[in-house]
Amino acid sequence: MSMLVEMVGINKSFGATKVLSDVGFSLEPGSVHALMGENGAGKSTLMRILSGVYQPTSGIVRLRGEVVNFRTPKEARLAGVSTVFQEFTLIPNLTVAENMFLGHEPRRADGSIDRAEVIDRSRRLLADVFPQLDPMAIVDTLTVAQQQAVEIAKGLTSNADVFIFDEPTAALNSADVEHLFKVIRDLKGAGKAVVYISHRMNEVFELCDKITVMKDGAWVKTAKAEEFNLHSLVATMVGRELQNFFPSRAGETGDHMLEVSDLRLDVEGPTVQFSVKRGEILGLAGLEGQGQREIMRALVGVESAKSVTVRRRGADSSMRAVNVSSGFSNAISAGIGFIPEDRKQEGLFLRLPIYDNIALGKQLNRSMASVAWRSVSRVRDIIKSLRVAAADPGAPVGKLSGGNQQKVLLGRWLLSGVDILVIEEPTRGVDVGAKAEIYRLLRDFSERGGAVIVSSRELAELIGLCDNILIVHDRKVVGQTPAVGATEESILGTALGSHSTHDQRAAVH
Amino acid sequence: MNTVATYLRVPYRAGAIRLSIGTLVLMVLASIIFLPGFLAGENLSNLLAQSTTLVISALGQTFVILTGGLDVSVGSIISVTTAIMTLDMPPFVRVLLCIAVATTFGLVNGYGVARLNVHPIIMTLATMGIGQGLALIILPIPGGRVPDWLSMSVAGSIGPLPNALVWLVVASLVAAWILYRRPFGLYLFAAGGNEFNARMNGVPVERTIMNAYVLSALFACAAGMFLAGRLASGDPKGGAAFGIESVTAAALGGVHLAGGIGSIFGTVVGAAILGLVNNVMNLANVSAFLQSVAKGALLLVLVVSQRRKTIGL
Repeated sequence: MSMLVEMVGINKSFGATKVLSDVGFSLEPGSVHALMGENGAGKSTLMRILSGVYQPTSGIVRLRGEVVNFRTPKEARLAGVSTVFQEFTLIPNLTVAENMFLGHEPRRADGSIDRAEVIDRSRRLLADVFPQLDPMAIVDTLTVAQQQAVEIAKGLTSNADVFIFDEPTAALNSADVEHLFKVIRDLKGAGKAVVYISHRMNEVFELCDKITVMKDGAWVKTAKAEEFNLHSLVATMVGRELQNFFPSRAGETGDHMLEVSDLRLDVEGPTVQFSVKRGEILGLAGLEGQGQREIMRALVGVESAKSVTVRRRGADSSMRAVNVSSGFSNAISAGIGFIPEDRKQEGLFLRLPIYDNIALGKQLNRSMASVAWRSVSRVRDIIKSLRVAAADPGAPVGKLSGGNQQKVLLGRWLLSGVDILVIEEPTRGVDVGAKAEIYRLLRDFSERGGAVIVSSRELAELIGLCDNILIVHDRKVVGQTPAVGATEESILGTALGSHSTHDQRAAVH
Repeated sequence: MNTVATYLRVPYRAGAIRLSIGTLVLMVLASIIFLPGFLAGENLSNLLAQSTTLVISALGQTFVILTGGLDVSVGSIISVTTAIMTLDMPPFVRVLLCIAVATTFGLVNGYGVARLNVHPIIMTLATMGIGQGLALIILPIPGGRVPDWLSMSVAGSIGPLPNALVWLVVASLVAAWILYRRPFGLYLFAAGGNEFNARMNGVPVERTIMNAYVLSALFACAAGMFLAGRLASGDPKGGAAFGIESVTAAALGGVHLAGGIGSIFGTVVGAAILGLVNNVMNLANVSAFLQSVAKGALLLVLVVSQRRKTIGL
């Protein structure tokens, strides 16, 4: 059977970072093809190349046998490749019909937009697929599922042959998922090729004909869906050895230091509760976007939850409530620090010197009018003990590498004297050598009587670094496991098993 | 034909336009009841003449605000235009010169904002300064003569229709035609709604923003012509107030300064509210200082109540 899409030898680098190396991928008409892999495996990048958002550093893309080189998503769409991005590309203040035809509106003889034609054609296109969608509705007033329908409908306007769905069900309820699956099957029946990216294994097995697995920016395996089962698929996705650069685990942990209870992200949602002990590093694991970030941020008060109760052990070893729901500053006064994932935007002052970025830790939670003494020697001590690789504490933080920036943030909290640290993605953008140092610093922090709560997309990192791991899925804690003996398979299995109720659960255990 | 009906219809994404209309109606009723001189023919034609410059400049301003920008150089362009119209040259050369100067200002503003990423306020503050200086160089003190036909076109009337009303209606229809009948209009809303996504869908965002500033300058030029005609002379500072007042008028008419929400009709209503406040308070002998306080308070009240419903549906 001739291929609708062939991608051959695709390489892609961002600056010095190689994200795709020599990836091949092809699509048959009338099929649904799943693209699987861990976070950061390169699935989205590959699809962004096919849909014109990125251009490959090298490699060939063929559509219907002809070499194509899309420079914009619009070019790709007009050539017949339609993408439903995770982040929608809709314009909120335009109508459904206007969004569907934006950039290629039917014109009248005088060059004006033929609005009657726009509405008429959208109504006809929507009638088959999403009959309940009003072409005159303003997109901003629609639900997420309806907005996704508009994204799909955009592909219909250009009569696309290839539809790419990047985690389409992440924000849908089960009824909407049913309808989406019907739409996808209809597309397949009409001879279109569909690429389906999802972390939900049961969906993949239910929907897809073929599965391609990617890992670390490279192609691993392509086979018919029947040739996989849940276990073998997860094993193919993970398939890596734990690197051996983690510090030793906690010898022995003390009392409960921080208790989180009655944490509710949604009004009707489940409650989350857990606690962390003195000397412990606790990890929050799970697939991307399952609520880890929200839980972490709610417990320090950076983002608000529907309800949350946080209690910590005070100097007199009694548990005291921390009123985090009225803001992060209460958490800081209670000795809880927070290091966000996006260090450059949310953590650091890139143009300020290393010195100031660290010295800020000393001023946190002091009155606005108090005198800010320069404690040069203490900051120098911290810079030295963290081994921040910079000769000059006056150098701007923006010039440092990711690992050194992370150390500066750690230094700020060390100076402020917190003993509980909540840290997101501790090694995002940190190179391998510096990762080991960050791990050691976190372990030092916990061994000096602190407690650490950490989230990461890299399960291997959590397994290596943490003492205990909470498994989060669908905005609730679905399991807890000691990190010793945990495997990526067992964690993914627990997360996904909690989701799929039927036979796949048996396949895991 | 339903064309006229389309122009007059309250369009979607017009913002909280009903609130503005209601305010205007109430104000007109109150003026009629409480101010005996309000309905006098002389006062009405005064009101119209005073408001038309504001309406025309606010229409241009609307294009820029829809992109999420702001054009404070509008006032200077009006002043320069009145100054140029008093130059000792053949009349049509003066007109062409006005248009050329305005277009240049618009292009410079648009280039700075869209290509060089200068903040709209800084960009247009700079050109505002340049324009003001230019106007004073051309015409240091108010005076000079503008062509007679220009004064006539402003002062006279066609049958019962005052010419000023014709200026106002034509400018509004041209603006509505551009916004609702040209692809540019849709792109303007798209770029103001979500610039990144507009780009992803192939909307020429930079060109759209440039065009918005050029249109704003050209409408300011037309407003300047009207002002010159009304004064029958030039005034190098006559336009200064319109830089801010045009923004106020648009905001009063439900145009969101964040971009993407607004309408031509709303702007006309907003400008009418502002013109009416000016007129009524003059008529009632309210001090100029108090007028300023009242206008500020009105803007605050209307905009705060619009905030409550982000998208006027």
